[in-house]
Amino acid sequence: MATNIAILRRPLDPTGAWAWITTVDHKKIGVLYGLTAFAFFILGGVEALVMRLQLAQADLNVVSAATFNQMFTMHGTTMIFMVVMPAGAAFFNFLVPLQIGARDVAFPRLNALSYWLFLFGSILMNFSFFTGSAPDMGWFAYAPLTAANFSTSSSVDYWILGLQVMGVGTLAAGFNFVITIINMRAPGMTLMRMPVFTWMTLIVSFLIIFAFPVITVAITLLLFDRMFGTNFYDITAGADPLLWQHLFWVFGHPEVYILILPSMGIVSDILPTFSRKPLFGYVTIVLAGAVIAFLGFGVWAHHMFTVGMGRWATSAFAVATMAIAVPTGVKVFNWLGTMYGGSIQFRTPMLFALGFISLFMLGGLSGVMHAVVPVDLHQQDTYFVVAHFHYVLFGGSIFGLTAATYYWFPKITGRMMSESIGKTHFALMFVGFNLTFFPMHFLGVLGMPRRIYTYAPDMGWSGTNMAVTIGAFVIAVSIAVFLYNMVRSARVGQPAGANPWGAATLEWSIESPPHHYNFAIVPTIRSQHPLWDEEANTVEPPPLPYVDESSIHMPSPSYWPLLLAMGVTLVAGSLLVWQAHAIAGLTMGAASGALALISVYRWVFEPAVATEVAEGAAAHH
Amino acid sequence: MAAQHDLHHEEHTEKHPSPRRYIQIAVVLCVVTLIEFLIFYGNWDSATMTGIILLLSGLKFLLVVGYYMHLKFDNWRFSAFFFFPFIIMISIMVALMALFSNLTR
Amino acid sequence: MQYLARSPEAEHATTTGLNNRKLLMWAFLGSDAMFFGPLIATHLIYRTESLQGPIEEILNIPVTTISTFVLLMSSLAMVLALAGIQQGKMGTFRFWTAMTALLGMVFIGFQMVEFTEFAKHGLTPRTNLFGSTFLTLTGFHGAHVTVGIIWLWSLFFASFRGKVKQENSLDVEIAGLYWHFVDIVWIVIFGVIYLVGAFGVEDRVLEGAHALAGLGG
Repeated sequence: MATNIAILRRPLDPTGAWAWITTVDHKKIGVLYGLTAFAFFILGGVEALVMRLQLAQADLNVVSAATFNQMFTMHGTTMIFMVVMPAGAAFFNFLVPLQIGARDVAFPRLNALSYWLFLFGSILMNFSFFTGSAPDMGWFAYAPLTAANFSTSSSVDYWILGLQVMGVGTLAAGFNFVITIINMRAPGMTLMRMPVFTWMTLIVSFLIIFAFPVITVAITLLLFDRMFGTNFYDITAGADPLLWQHLFWVFGHPEVYILILPSMGIVSDILPTFSRKPLFGYVTIVLAGAVIAFLGFGVWAHHMFTVGMGRWATSAFAVATMAIAVPTGVKVFNWLGTMYGGSIQFRTPMLFALGFISLFMLGGLSGVMHAVVPVDLHQQDTYFVVAHFHYVLFGGSIFGLTAATYYWFPKITGRMMSESIGKTHFALMFVGFNLTFFPMHFLGVLGMPRRIYTYAPDMGWSGTNMAVTIGAFVIAVSIAVFLYNMVRSARVGQPAGANPWGAATLEWSIESPPHHYNFAIVPTIRSQHPLWDEEANTVEPPPLPYVDESSIHMPSPSYWPLLLAMGVTLVAGSLLVWQAHAIAGLTMGAASGALALISVYRWVFEPAVATEVAEGAAAHH
Repeated sequence: MAAQHDLHHEEHTEKHPSPRRYIQIAVVLCVVTLIEFLIFYGNWDSATMTGIILLLSGLKFLLVVGYYMHLKFDNWRFSAFFFFPFIIMISIMVALMALFSNLTR
Repeated sequence: MQYLARSPEAEHATTTGLNNRKLLMWAFLGSDAMFFGPLIATHLIYRTESLQGPIEEILNIPVTTISTFVLLMSSLAMVLALAGIQQGKMGTFRFWTAMTALLGMVFIGFQMVEFTEFAKHGLTPRTNLFGSTFLTLTGFHGAHVTVGIIWLWSLFFASFRGKVKQENSLDVEIAGLYWHFVDIVWIVIFGVIYLVGAFGVEDRVLEGAHALAGLGG
């Protein structure tokens, strides 16, 4: 490769940490996403515990009001953008190519770029803790509160720039999975034979590429206001105070479905396995997912009923919001129908899937209550809303993702997770969850506003708040049990074999953990349940023909995704430096911009499969 | 692989319009722009003028997308990928403008 | 054998038979439409909300019509470049690619002159809502054009190193899709923001002209 000069020679066969840093393998990237998301899950959880300590009793002074603001802002931002989305991405990455019979995603290096942008963007935002200006304005950062004259520290800038970097990575991942699922399916894997998880990944990826540009615009305009003195959110220049809210929620509501649909897909894959019968109403479940996503673009203003949009707009958004309950209800009935008459096995993944259905349904019900405008006017910004979105995001998304972890851990590591510890984990988490979030409904109805850092003893909220705090610590214990189970099982768990659960989908047809090329021979799919139907139809599986591994060309590792992500993140960081010191910021911006540009060029002119590898293989033949 | 590529290539040259057609489209685009320019200085009421300009701009848009970007001749999936978000966006824009006007109050 | 950013999968048959990167570009363009949409909507929402300073009367329709011609012609040059490389005529490809990039640069030149004129007459992104929304929208469009210019010159120079050839004309086609998209965004901006926008302020156009004359003198 002529262009490959001595510095940064392409890592052809890296080992140890370099194998991970330069990887373009979707399975390794998936594991990186998962581990990073779990680390941020603990961080976000600690932030929640700090809040719960502060609120355990009236008039406590565990943290200052300012710190409390940082805690709830970073807790929300972390859990949404650094935990649930990347944890979903972890499973998209690991599973989607396996479920559709592909050897990798459509754009392996772009995939690595997505991960590094997510990691560096998260670090950039959390770096604000060290400068003492962590974001403190709530995760939806309402302008004009976040304008330069009201939020004078650089906290909002960290939030914008961190989100911007992560957003670019998320968009890249969205494109990647859309193309992968449309274009990389094995022969015979028609759209209507895809596992529901892959379907939901496709829908979520479309939501990402359609919704994220809108938040990109919203935060870019805010950044311009703060750094360059434009007037988008400046009321004194005639700006409308609702512009941010509209732009934010045009993104924000599809975002909600970006968070929940992966878990719906997970549960739709787990239930058939442990009910020993095919999913009830596959087509309706898929269509319901698509309808939910589509309607999700038309309901954003239900987050804004209290701002006074006028009765027509309010009614339209209320009706559209209630309409979403229909496809959601369809899904719940399909899940119940799947279990009906099945021989149900209560293994740990199944327990979490059942937890998902019950808790998500409660969250869905309180969601419909919010669609009733007169009721919503009373619930807005109270703990009732906090209870609602934790039932859908924690009881929904996190329970689903935990189910996925137990279910696919054997595929990822080759070892089973402990059932007994897993069931302890489930019991603790289910009880802790409900002890934490169910009483919040009552607190909300009693009028406790969200985001207050303390309250007076005579409000009558003290006992309930104490219960909530105890619940939060029960959840913390359950997460410790979860972590212990994962670490222990990865080392000494029972060997899993290819298909420990007797599941039907394609990923279970190959070794656990899979070879780096996934499928020695790209399979041909003949049904929606390839493993179940093959087993039923054939007396014994046909012997695998000998495959010469060196004839399989996998994309080679690369430095450029990592360096490009670094360049982009440092450009974002240089804006922060620029605010403090113009020359230093410009220098840093120019240097990191050059790094990014060089990385793009080197990436573009670098063949996906290193020439040495291709030539070596050719010589081998 | 090479054979596949050639096949792909042949399909393309077959489907793509000729340079002559490209130039014809360019002439139409210029003429329409000129008409738009003249309409701007004409004596119309605001609503009519807005309607005509939107129509003519839409025509130019479709000509470029259909011929220069080959959507007219290409696989339907490309059109779906492009027009689906486009329609969502137009709907959201119309809704936003209605929300910020006094129409919905 | 070296191609521009060719992924190994692109050479295998894909499920739909469509090229991965071309599908990616179309998905990106759909997504990019979702980026320009809110910018245009914000401008339209704030059209009449500026409290001070020059607004649409400052737009120079004749000059912008010329720059619109320039961008439309660059799209023609782009398809001719693609037709050239598809027929293996490297000279034709290089000529029209350079022409596309040059016309793009002329367009950017027009935009720089326009922005400078605005600044002279007291309209900057800080002046009022019109300045913020208009300059951000057209500025982002200009940034897209600039990326396209860099891309086209990259293809142009790479062709001398044998990296752009008839068999990977798809690389040019994809760059072309991006370029035409930037063109259609401008078609919308010219129609909706310039013509319809400035038309509503006919009387103010005259006032503005007087004001400009006053400022100039």
